[in-house]
Parts: sequence; structure tokens; C-alpha cells
Amino acid sequence: MEPTHHSIRRALSAVVLATGGLALSAAIWASGNHGFAAGVLSFYGVASIVTYRWAGGRGDVAAILSTRPDERQRGLDRDATAISGLAVTVVALVGAVVAVARTGNPGDFGVICLVSGASYVIALGAMQRRR
Amino acid sequence: MQNRVRELREGTGLSQGELGERLGVSRQTINSIENGRYLPSLPLALALAHCFATIVEDIFIQEEEKWNPRTIQSVER
Repeated sequence: MEPTHHSIRRALSAVVLATGGLALSAAIWASGNHGFAAGVLSFYGVASIVTYRWAGGRGDVAAILSTRPDERQRGLDRDATAISGLAVTVVALVGAVVAVARTGNPGDFGVICLVSGASYVIALGAMQRRR
Repeated sequence: MQNRVRELREGTGLSQGELGERLGVSRQTINSIENGRYLPSLPLALALAHCFATIVEDIFIQEEEKWNPRTIQSVER
């Protein structure tokens, strides 16, 4: 593999993290909370550096972070993503139930439940066509 | 499912990393296969068999009766 390609792949996760952090910090800054924006920017900056360094290692996480996983590591990534999605859905469901009981409206939790359910159905349909 | 990957690899003198490099997978994946924690895909199993100049059935040994090739009646052609 060419060194340039390796460097790009290694930096990809860190760049995504830094970009997300920059966007979030800019939004917080625009809302007027400049101190918190600086804190968030610092946190994401450190997280990006740690991610970049971790992606240069040799373990499973490094391979996943640097977008060069093999089939087992892709499976690990897929399972972890599915479990984290499930965790978010469970929390959103519990939150929606509590919100309905307190206010009569599921609020933002309802939106997350809706997106979670709809995306699952769409993903299942798309996957059925592939397998 | 049991397998003979470690035995075959050690027979060739390859390290886990070297075998992984030949097959395009990580050392950790070879280690997981050897310890029975990960069942490889069919392409990877075939690549392993090719690497050791044998067949998949010689590397992976099915324990359960249900899918044991020796107990499945073959289709007559």
C-alpha cells in the first residue's frame, strides 16, 4: 500500500471526529456560549489526536478506525454498531414512555423512536435484496 | 466446530502474523480462528485450505451430528 493512502485512511476517523466537533463548537459559539464552545472544541481536538494515534496501531480497534478492517473486524464493527443502536432505541423508548406519562407527549424521544423504527425497516428491506 | 489451523500453521513454520498477511487478514483474526472464537467466511476458509494445500474438510471438523458431512445423505445425480 502506498504511504499516502495509508496516511489518508489512518486520518479518516480523526478528520470525521474533528469536523463534527468543529461543527458542534461553531453551533454552540453561535448560540452565545463561548466558553462551552471552546471546551467542546478542545475535547474534540484531543479526541481527534487520540483517534489518529490509536488508528496507527495494530489491534482490532486500530484497523476499524483506519478503515482497513478484515472480515472479522468488519463483523465486530457491525455488531458493535447494532448493539449501540439497540441501546439508543431502548433508552429512547423508556424516555418516550416517561415523557408521555409526565407531559402526554413523547417529545424528542418520540422522534428518535420513529427514526429508529423506520430506519430499521428500511435497512431490513435493503439487506433482504442483497442476501 | 474444531479446526486444525494452528497445527497446520505450525507445521509450515509460519507465524500467525505471516499467515494473516498471506491471507489478507489480521494476526488477531488468525488467533481467533485457531482458538475457535471466530468461524471464517467460506472464501477465507477456502483460502486457508489453498494456503495449506488441502481441502476445507481437513481443516474444519464439524462436531454436531446435524451438519456433519458424513451423516448427510448425498443427492444422486
